[in-house]
Amino acid sequence: MAESQNSPTYPTREPVDFVVVGSGAAGGVMAKELSTAGFSVVVLEQGPHLQAADFKHDEWDYDYNGGLMWGIKQGHPQTFRKNENEEAVEAEAVLGYAHNVGGSSVHFSGNFWRFRPIDFMEASVRGTVPGTNFADWPISYEDLEPYYTKVDWEIGVSGLQGPWDPPRSRAYPCPPMPIKGPDVLLERAGKQLGLNPYPAPVAILSQPHNGRPGCIHCGFCNGFGCEVNAKSSSMATMIPLALASGNCELRTGCTVSRVNTGEDGRVTEVVYWDAEGTEQAQRANAVVLCANGSETPRILFLSESEQHPDGLANSSGFVGQNLMFNGYTSIVGLFPEPVNAYKSVPATRVIHDYYELDPNLGFYGGGGIDGRHYSRGTPLNSALMSGMFGGPTWGAEYKKNLQQEFTHTAAFDGHTTSLPLASNNVTLDPNVQDKYGRPALRCTYMDHPDDIQTMSYFYDRTVELMEAAGAIRYAGEYPENGQEGNVHLLGTCRMGDDPSSSVIDKYHRTHDVPNLFISDGSSLITSGRGQPTMTIMAMAFRAADNIIQAARRGEI
Amino acid sequence: MSKTEISRRAFLRSSGQAVKGSCIALTLPMILTACNRAEEARLRGEDFSSLTEEEAFEFDAISARIIPSDDSPGAREAGVIYFIDNVLANESEEVREVLRSGLRDLQSSAVSTFDVPYFYQLEEAQQDQLLLEIEESEFFGTVRFLVVAGMFSLPEYGGNKDEAGWNLIGFDDRHAWVPPFGFYDADHAAKGG
Repeated sequence: MAESQNSPTYPTREPVDFVVVGSGAAGGVMAKELSTAGFSVVVLEQGPHLQAADFKHDEWDYDYNGGLMWGIKQGHPQTFRKNENEEAVEAEAVLGYAHNVGGSSVHFSGNFWRFRPIDFMEASVRGTVPGTNFADWPISYEDLEPYYTKVDWEIGVSGLQGPWDPPRSRAYPCPPMPIKGPDVLLERAGKQLGLNPYPAPVAILSQPHNGRPGCIHCGFCNGFGCEVNAKSSSMATMIPLALASGNCELRTGCTVSRVNTGEDGRVTEVVYWDAEGTEQAQRANAVVLCANGSETPRILFLSESEQHPDGLANSSGFVGQNLMFNGYTSIVGLFPEPVNAYKSVPATRVIHDYYELDPNLGFYGGGGIDGRHYSRGTPLNSALMSGMFGGPTWGAEYKKNLQQEFTHTAAFDGHTTSLPLASNNVTLDPNVQDKYGRPALRCTYMDHPDDIQTMSYFYDRTVELMEAAGAIRYAGEYPENGQEGNVHLLGTCRMGDDPSSSVIDKYHRTHDVPNLFISDGSSLITSGRGQPTMTIMAMAFRAADNIIQAARRGEI
Repeated sequence: MSKTEISRRAFLRSSGQAVKGSCIALTLPMILTACNRAEEARLRGEDFSSLTEEEAFEFDAISARIIPSDDSPGAREAGVIYFIDNVLANESEEVREVLRSGLRDLQSSAVSTFDVPYFYQLEEAQQDQLLLEIEESEFFGTVRFLVVAGMFSLPEYGGNKDEAGWNLIGFDDRHAWVPPFGFYDADHAAKGG
């Protein structure tokens, strides 16, 4: 069903130029770039087209009933195990992402760090890590810089070039967000410790840009959809342009079952269930999978055929492997005066002095630290978590503590590297199925010992910062026994020059299938320092640029 | 480790308790339907859609110990029992059985310890004594989750009446704020970094 008056309705039995699977951070960019370049595009999206007016300050729905993320009750179970010797068990949102137009760019917190030059060549500069697939990228920061700048200006990013930032060809379009209480505490503590806190770049507008309004500081960013379109999701920024092009049909409620190939090995059509549950097949000259680091591998596995017995585009065996979550640490402090961290955006200052840890520490890693609200800064989450300072979890004392904790706490979060490992992966669960009868996504994950040591290192740094900030009390955590889920789904169809150890080439074309492309979190080779969406979007702009040029040369 | 640092274990215990102690997982449309039905029922003078009168008295009494009424409204004044009623209207039989059997056990304790048949008839101190004994149970974890959720979720789900929960903790649900947001950023504006 066409979504907009300008939007065409393409017949399924005639090939469109491109089918784009997924409308998230990468899919939204891809749809906009291809359609405005004049190509006919059909976008298939599992979820509904929610827009600003649909979003509410509704914790109960979004955080406890799978409103955006979906889970077992919506017919989308997932399973998890720490290693391949365990039987995976059903769990909620292990591989977490939002099911709606714009994908997780709608409900994310909007932290938009660029990767730095070192992220693209760390394996050769620092040295490889034995037993891992840690490798250089086939592209450099310089290759991606024009596209980072495109993201800044077309998507809309607020920030200020910091002392640690890589060179940029153009300034940020919007100044940084006003500093919040947690970040004043972080900044003052950081300076006291000789560190260099600076304004955090965010995909949230600090002032009007591209016809969208500036942020009104309502505080419901992380986990929620923006009610005024100040958050720069692909839903708010790219999809409207794609629909206005007259070349893009957005089909919502559509779940892909497989991608079919012809005798020549080329992709011919994408098979899916439409919003009514009827099976359809859209013919296409080329297909771009932007379904995210868990769904893209699932589609490839489900598209197995005689020619592609281990799944489509999987001659390397790397599809689904090298899943990277990024590590995290979190510490919350109680302060004497009102912080009111529940207002405005998640983070306004970042410390990047620990971006690359000293190799002499004996482990690989690095990351950043930012100031945050505690437990998303929302009332229900905060109330459920009360007791972390050792107080009771119910009764008069609990009630008394609640009154101080909600307004007087600030959190410092660490965001860290994950190493790529073959043993951390997305596969098809042999026992559990979703409501369509597709095998459920099975996640196998155990953080590398270096990743856990990195988290431990960052946790200790945030303890120092809390002490310096003058917290009355503090408490915190990091997943010292390994993570059991995350919302960063990276590396599962990695880019590379060598077809035997990667799934896509440096132009995002799959090594095995000439008219099949992939662009999403799965394309990343290394994890970066914990804020991947900026890079996913920049890579999507670059991928689209190369796909358009190849199409115009008749090379698809 | 300084004295101000609370053990990570305590933190993890509290964060884990948030959801893992509970067996609740629901879909929103079902709850909203329940809320609408409950509102209609209330207008017709019928109080509860899923709880019996006895259960309503008992869970209301437990909620009043979890978030007591003192100089500010507690779970009882916030109407948390109506939230619980709405949520349970569409919860699985499995979950409802956890609550029913847990309540039966609690009433048995009331009889054996204080020779009183119903929990809600006990003195507050007696109620606290019995609840302390079952603090780690799935029953208590589920009820505690429902009470806190009812206290702090949007009022349209049936609890948090007159935003009693939000007022308690100092949350003001505005759609727009302007800086400064709190003490420290105001101080930063006045004195700099």
